[in-house]
Amino acid sequence: MYLSEGRTGKQYKVESIRLPVQMEKRLEALGMTRGTEVDVLNSKSRGVLIVKVRGSRFALGRNITRNIIVG
Amino acid sequence: MEKVEGAIKDHDLNIRLVDLPGTYSLTSYTMEETVSRQFILSDEVDVIIDVADASALERNLYLTLQLLELGKPVVLALNMMDIVEKRGMEIDLHRLPEMLGIPVIPVSARKRVGLDVLLHAAAHHKDCTDPTCLIHHHKFSSRHPHDHHAEYAMVYSDKIEDKIDLITEELKKSYPEIENYRWHSIKLLEQDKEITEKYPIYLPQVIDRNYESDLINEKYDFIQEIISEVVVNKERQEQMTEKADRVLTHRIFGIPIFLGIMAVVFFLTFTIGDWLKGYLEMGIESLSGLIRDGLTATGVNEMLRSLLVDGIIAGVGGILTFLPNIFILFLALAFLEDSGYMARVAYVMEGVMSKLGLSGRAFIPMILGFGCTVPAIMASRALENRRDRFKVMLVTPFMSCSARLPIYILFAEMFFGKKAMLVAYSMYLIGLIVAILVAAVLHLIDRRRTENYLLIELPEYKIPSGKTVAIYVWEKVKDYLTKAGTTIFIASVVMWVILNFGAEGYTTEMADSFGAVLGHHLVPFFMPVGLGFWQIAVALIAGISAKEVVVSSCAVLFAVPNINSGSGMDVLTGILERMGFGPLNALCLMIFSLLYIPCAASLATIRKEAASTKWMLFSAVFQLAVAWIVTFAVYQIGSLL
Repeated sequence: MYLSEGRTGKQYKVESIRLPVQMEKRLEALGMTRGTEVDVLNSKSRGVLIVKVRGSRFALGRNITRNIIVG
Repeated sequence: MEKVEGAIKDHDLNIRLVDLPGTYSLTSYTMEETVSRQFILSDEVDVIIDVADASALERNLYLTLQLLELGKPVVLALNMMDIVEKRGMEIDLHRLPEMLGIPVIPVSARKRVGLDVLLHAAAHHKDCTDPTCLIHHHKFSSRHPHDHHAEYAMVYSDKIEDKIDLITEELKKSYPEIENYRWHSIKLLEQDKEITEKYPIYLPQVIDRNYESDLINEKYDFIQEIISEVVVNKERQEQMTEKADRVLTHRIFGIPIFLGIMAVVFFLTFTIGDWLKGYLEMGIESLSGLIRDGLTATGVNEMLRSLLVDGIIAGVGGILTFLPNIFILFLALAFLEDSGYMARVAYVMEGVMSKLGLSGRAFIPMILGFGCTVPAIMASRALENRRDRFKVMLVTPFMSCSARLPIYILFAEMFFGKKAMLVAYSMYLIGLIVAILVAAVLHLIDRRRTENYLLIELPEYKIPSGKTVAIYVWEKVKDYLTKAGTTIFIASVVMWVILNFGAEGYTTEMADSFGAVLGHHLVPFFMPVGLGFWQIAVALIAGISAKEVVVSSCAVLFAVPNINSGSGMDVLTGILERMGFGPLNALCLMIFSLLYIPCAASLATIRKEAASTKWMLFSAVFQLAVAWIVTFAVYQIGSLL
């Protein structure tokens, strides 16, 4: 499934990221790589999320979350 | 790339400091990171000072680990320790240097604390390449043939370390000139573009795929180990933040809460600000009275007395009385920023902004625009997409900045009595709506659709620190006072000169002055928007220097010394009403002032940030056109009612 479908309060594991290289590298530098666990803390309609990755909180737009495959 | 340099003398050393652009990583995917990396690796660099944000240690340590691998001596400066303490957390400053094998110096760049110690550490650490400097003890003992734990802080899993060792051997054979084999081996394992091209090696069994993600993951695993050992008391604060976020970033209530917060901000600005303003007015009124009497008593010549009383005191004094309103507004904005709420606004507004083709992040400069357009335009730097930046730069000046507040307060109170606050409120709303509409139109005509990626870190909430807020507000108050003492002072003097001198020299008959002649020429342009009065035309032109000048010019133009006081307003209302300037004209003046050409300082900032004089001119003409059209519509519709 895609991270954009993630539900509040659930934890997911990143399987793959399909974003433009620059964006993907930024996410990786923030610690979001394959195998990273992502907690969805809050969600709005259309996949705009607040997530917690390795101890930090981020707001992610839909264009990011719908390109991250999680399990 | 921006590289800022400076020199200092310390410890009998001539130190050259080079400030590299801020970054989270040192990959070769962006120009800036590549250039920073090449510079650090060059012989010019003796020691790296890694300035980390202690309040976001996890992500900052990621860069630290990468810097360590570059093989140069590193000193870690932990900035913002005061915020860490405020949050009730503690960082073990003994264990952290042990685990990293480098000196760690707590500093506060803002309060200028610890900077001497930092320089000292850098000066002493620069020659430290001896592995015994490292006293790191890893939790796991390695079965690896080479015990790298004695040599490096960041040691990977045995599988990766084996690969690094194999690549290193190969590199030593093929490229004996390399200084730091380990770093180059790691980069080859990551299939880093630059290094792979520069030092190609053939080891298909070792580099069988791209190991970048593995290396990042292992670095973060080590960081988690460090965090769990050195950061004490983390949990409590997190729970509070998550609870607060459940309400403040709620999917439905998020936007109403944000609007409510902004309404409270402006309510406080008007009410508390007005209450404080009363006292300030009394002070300034009695002071100007004293000066006037003093000047008359000492028999100073009439022209000089007029310049001082009708020009400078009326203009500058009039503006100073608005200080309390400005103070409250910036105080509120400082609270929003320092509490951690501001970043949430990007999330809350993402839905609305994405419909305008912008990222939610673009909303932050727009809110800052309520304070002052200049820093707001600078804040648009945080947007990655260049075209987004230009859009934001174009719409931000429509957000009603604090300099326009005096215009609303004065004219709304003069003409709208009890509804004054409502009218002033509506100016903020009109500004916001115009900004959003302009962004929407730009989005519609912009055919090159680019995708926006909202990615913003949300810090933990905290009680705003009194000191941070005080510094922020003081900076703004100082700016305002400086502006009153410079721009507004000069504008008031110039205004007095053009209003008191005409073709026949000094004149007390304002209608014969240069100002009147200039104003009369502009009347046809302002007539259709309900502002066809030469005095108003002159005030608006002068207002391009700074928006408050519209008010200070009115004080000089209509010779009302205490323009913001009750009696001053009565006098001015009387004069204006005799001219045929009523509530509708006042409304038009407020809307026109809100939307027309940004002030000189904003224009200069736009030119600098866009690096284009053309764009600045376009921005000015565009805003003038928008102001004229909107005010025209309001005046024409209003006249029919």
